[in-house]
Amino acid sequence: MNEELVRMEHISKFFGRVQALNDVTFTVRKNEIVGLLGDNGAGKSTLIKILSGALIADSGTIYMHGRPVSVRSTTDAIKLGIETIYQDSALVTQLSIARNLFLGREPTKGPRLLNRMDQQAMNEVAAGLLKKAGIQKDIPPTTPISSLSGGERQAVAIARAMHFDSELIILDEPTNNLGVEETQSVLRFVRNARDSGHSCIFIAHNIHHVFQVVDRIVVMRRGKKIADDIDPRQTTIEAVEQVIMGHLDSIPDAPPAQ
Amino acid sequence: MHSSSPFRRFFTGPAASPVGQFMQTFISRPEFGPFVLLILEIIVFTLRSGAFLSSTNISNLLAFTPELGMIALGMTMLMTSGEFDLSVGSVFGFAPVVMWTILNTGTASLEVGFFVAIAIAVVIGYVNGIFVTRLKIPSFLVTLGMLLVVRGTALYITDGFPQRTWSAEGSWIANLIVGEFTIGSIKIYASVIWFIAFVIVLAYMLTQTKFGNWILASGGNAQSAQARGVKVGRTKIILFIMTAVMSAFAGIVSSIRVSAANPNSGTGYELEVIAMVVIGGTALTGGRGTIIGTVLGVLILRFMRNGIVLIGVPGLAYNIFIGAIILGMMALHSWLERRHNAGV
Repeated sequence: MNEELVRMEHISKFFGRVQALNDVTFTVRKNEIVGLLGDNGAGKSTLIKILSGALIADSGTIYMHGRPVSVRSTTDAIKLGIETIYQDSALVTQLSIARNLFLGREPTKGPRLLNRMDQQAMNEVAAGLLKKAGIQKDIPPTTPISSLSGGERQAVAIARAMHFDSELIILDEPTNNLGVEETQSVLRFVRNARDSGHSCIFIAHNIHHVFQVVDRIVVMRRGKKIADDIDPRQTTIEAVEQVIMGHLDSIPDAPPAQ
Repeated sequence: MHSSSPFRRFFTGPAASPVGQFMQTFISRPEFGPFVLLILEIIVFTLRSGAFLSSTNISNLLAFTPELGMIALGMTMLMTSGEFDLSVGSVFGFAPVVMWTILNTGTASLEVGFFVAIAIAVVIGYVNGIFVTRLKIPSFLVTLGMLLVVRGTALYITDGFPQRTWSAEGSWIANLIVGEFTIGSIKIYASVIWFIAFVIVLAYMLTQTKFGNWILASGGNAQSAQARGVKVGRTKIILFIMTAVMSAFAGIVSSIRVSAANPNSGTGYELEVIAMVVIGGTALTGGRGTIIGTVLGVLILRFMRNGIVLIGVPGLAYNIFIGAIILGMMALHSWLERRHNAGV
């Protein structure tokens, strides 16, 4: 088994008097795609927002590579190598692919005073990255995001996470609003990302999509973690649905954890 | 991206010939519409009035155009980042009042007055920026408030009377910013040179630099940009300061040229400047901006104001034409935008 990359330990979070997370411990290993499932209000988004810096936990600790880290903003998370990809991709649609890929970390050339962006290098790297992320069409890196399809936009966001050595890529409903073919390409990008050494957390309402890519399924219900070690190759979608809905607390006849 | 036309050409597919290819690139640029309008304007005015291209008239045009133009350049950068500034006209009036009051009261020299006026503009821009970025108040309200504060201060310290300015003769700083020289029979002020220099610097800044990418991203999607580590707040504050400083500089240039520092000058400039910027193709909502477009927008409105008087249209009808141009250009830009988004 691979070593642990991220460990969120005893995380609790209140919104007023509502407890959104109740003592949740959640780990992701290296080179692993974890599917995080749960009904609306189960707490999965809250958990992910805490990991990506959008929210701060009331109690609990986050470890990376076994060392405790402080994630108090999205910038902190990005610095630690945690990238979050939302359904709207968080791209600037008016800017080109290359300018989006390097936004905030643009390479410069020449005297520092002139602050000149190295657009040639950006375009070259971007073209290579798009291929690596799995875009087959020949799209020039200077194309504005606004002329890309939803799937292509997700690919750009994933390519960005891959390039900047993000160890953990969080995908929050990345296949929402996407067509069948686009969904397949996003799933392919996720597999590519794992094959090139990145870990992923995959959140989706559509269990079928989750089953197609993940190595391990974690189920949450009402702010608690219910199941941690569900292997999608050894169970059925129906059984997992039962766990999510609360008819079962674990997978029946599940073989001992890995 | 506007700056990436060679690649857009590639993206839009092969054209029939190099000339056709060039035309295709050219037409797809946001500056194309304003450019055609400007050429049409020049042709119509030249045909209807022999005086339009006379050296006297060109000298006149070149005297005043850079002054509004400089404000428009600052405003272009600010609007690209998603904000705008209604206080530019009042700063245009206030800065020269400060400079001349300092000289006339014997407090200090003209040079000191100049730098104090610019420093005050920095503070005005900084305050605008802080209110907008830290307190999250829309720039419309913040800069409307600032307009009243600055204009009110100018009126208060002058008692509403213009300041004497005739003692500027011979000052090196006055020569540097509005000294005049002639090319052939055309009289040119140094302000034209300043304007051209600003155009080059700002066009470079917007299209070629990392800071320019941050400006575009701040206006396009501030939240994503912030999440990527772009300092959106700082970027906008810098642009508010830049806009205020350029307005102050333009006001000082104007006051030296016309030998009067009137606390009321610049009234209504904010809307004319915003009109120039949007006619040129910069988006009011941010994320898209063009310095060259703004230069065209400035020329279109200045030539229009000048030309319709020359061809005998009553000056009071000027606003009808300006309004029609704004509506027409907005319709064109929105059509091009939709066409562009559809991937054509």
